Amino acid sequence: MTRWRAALSPSNCALLGAAALLALAPFVLPVYATTLATEALILGLFAMSLDLMVGYARLISFGHAAAYGLGAYACGYVLLHTALPMLGAIAAATLFAGVLAIGIAWVCTIATGVSFSMLTLAFAQLLYAVAFRWTSVTGASDGLAGIPRRPGPFGLALFDSRTGFYYLVLFCLAAGFLFCRALVSSPFGAVLRGIRENEAKTKALGYDTRRYKIAVVAIAYALGGLAGALYAPFAGFANTELLFWLLSGQVLIMVIVGGAGTLVGPILGAAFFLLASQILSAYTDSWALFFGLLFIAFVLFAPEGIWGLLTSRLVRPKARAATPDAAA
Amino acid sequence: MTVECLNALSQSALLFFLGVGLTLIFGIMRIVNFAHGSFYMLGAFVGYSLARLAGSFWLALVLAPLSVGILGALFELGVLRFLYRRDATAFLMVTFGLALAIGEVARLVWGSQPLEVTTPKALSGVIFLFGLPFPLYRLFLTGAGAAVAILLWQFLERTRLGLLIRATSQNAEMMHALGTDVRLVRSFVFGIGCALAGLGGVLAAPLVTASLGMAVNVIIDAFVIVIIGGMGSFAGSILGALLVAFVQIFGEYYFPDFAMALMYLVMLLVLVLRPGGLLGKEA
Repeated sequence: MTRWRAALSPSNCALLGAAALLALAPFVLPVYATTLATEALILGLFAMSLDLMVGYARLISFGHAAAYGLGAYACGYVLLHTALPMLGAIAAATLFAGVLAIGIAWVCTIATGVSFSMLTLAFAQLLYAVAFRWTSVTGASDGLAGIPRRPGPFGLALFDSRTGFYYLVLFCLAAGFLFCRALVSSPFGAVLRGIRENEAKTKALGYDTRRYKIAVVAIAYALGGLAGALYAPFAGFANTELLFWLLSGQVLIMVIVGGAGTLVGPILGAAFFLLASQILSAYTDSWALFFGLLFIAFVLFAPEGIWGLLTSRLVRPKARAATPDAAA
Repeated sequence: MTVECLNALSQSALLFFLGVGLTLIFGIMRIVNFAHGSFYMLGAFVGYSLARLAGSFWLALVLAPLSVGILGALFELGVLRFLYRRDATAFLMVTFGLALAIGEVARLVWGSQPLEVTTPKALSGVIFLFGLPFPLYRLFLTGAGAAVAILLWQFLERTRLGLLIRATSQNAEMMHALGTDVRLVRSFVFGIGCALAGLGGVLAAPLVTASLGMAVNVIIDAFVIVIIGGMGSFAGSILGALLVAFVQIFGEYYFPDFAMALMYLVMLLVLVLRPGGLLGKEA
């Protein structure tokens, strides 16, 4: 009984409802909107992967574009130069980003705070510089173009249509979300939160915090790499912009606008980011101006992000009572 | 070899203007200012307009940094002031938002074409150094960089205001308790930092033209300088600017394929060996 009741809690019901709505979307939305929604879900997965680091372990990465770009380039390269089907290429790219991240994380976690952020930035820019010069593999400034959505295995061609690809992305996002939610509510997640609140204390309790940090960075990079790997066959290309620091900054903003440390918030933040830029650019050439002012307004008037705005009526009074100085 | 060294010195002067402002701001407020490159770009554009209006590069050289500095101080007064109790991500987002907004305003006012800024007559032409021709303007840049570095150093070391700034960067709470208006110090330092970036922009414009791309291109260079030197360290920003300029110029000359990567490799190496930067405190 209690198990059922827990499974049917309001938040789970809301999530199921959202999933159902998203699953029905391609039947209702026009073609253009389905493509836009696919991109929003990819960015949502990307932002959620960063939230694991930023929201749960206070590892503020300025270089998360590295994960996205690695995934996109790896997936594109495999699809262009081997006979592997798309699903295989995406899986390989995810693994590639995750494994490479272990090395990156090992170096970056030598430092903490702003220095950690800058080390992640340095790695991302290093990869950007490499992608710019390693013409034979990355196509230099032209990037990789004409990346196919190769069907298979066993002639399985479900995912190469527009709608099919949308469902593939939706499935990856849903699976990624369930995985992240399980992860942050596991003992592993508790250690991450310990690192966020007080790393010295967590270390004193006997946890090798650096190993935990490396693990969470690797997982975040793998998921970010998955998002990038989905983007390559979605867009049909991969270029150096996917590794540039602007994207790192943007995804960090998606996380913060949505609400860090909530997993759902960053997904909403990514969707908001993409939709707002599309809608604003339809009305005015100067959308960047309004976008910039919007960010400033968000920081000043909605410090807990979109998720905070949405849930404030339900959760705020209790949370306020528990931590009276949180709002100050 | 000599020419490359001289080039690197003048390049480091430009980078110094960027880096020193960023490091001063970080020292006082512990914030990473993503809009710093935009103030640099704004300096170049405002300098361009003032030079055309007044017909004098020298007047622009004084007035453009001043106006950029005032703008920066106003942003601190209007927005940043309310965020000091919040975490680093709040600053990140407002300065990122500000960078977007400034970029768009600059596009509306000055258009998206790069604007040619003419070198002032007194500084155009070449001079022979060690028997080699060298652009006079670049020599002037090197001198200007050295002069500003010395002036700033003396200001921080010798004046009362400089003392307050150094003390606030070490312990803002204590300064507040001792009766200093820390908020005023912050506004002032943010303004000075932005003005220095603006000065760099005005001085860079005759070399690279004033363009919208300036902001995006230099902000990472500025970060690298500050990180290598040590965040909040004045001497570190000089050292960082020199190191980055020499790596950039010599890298471009000897290993053109790896020039871009080289700077980041140096930064990685420094951070791995000394996470707080060469002259910074342990971070």
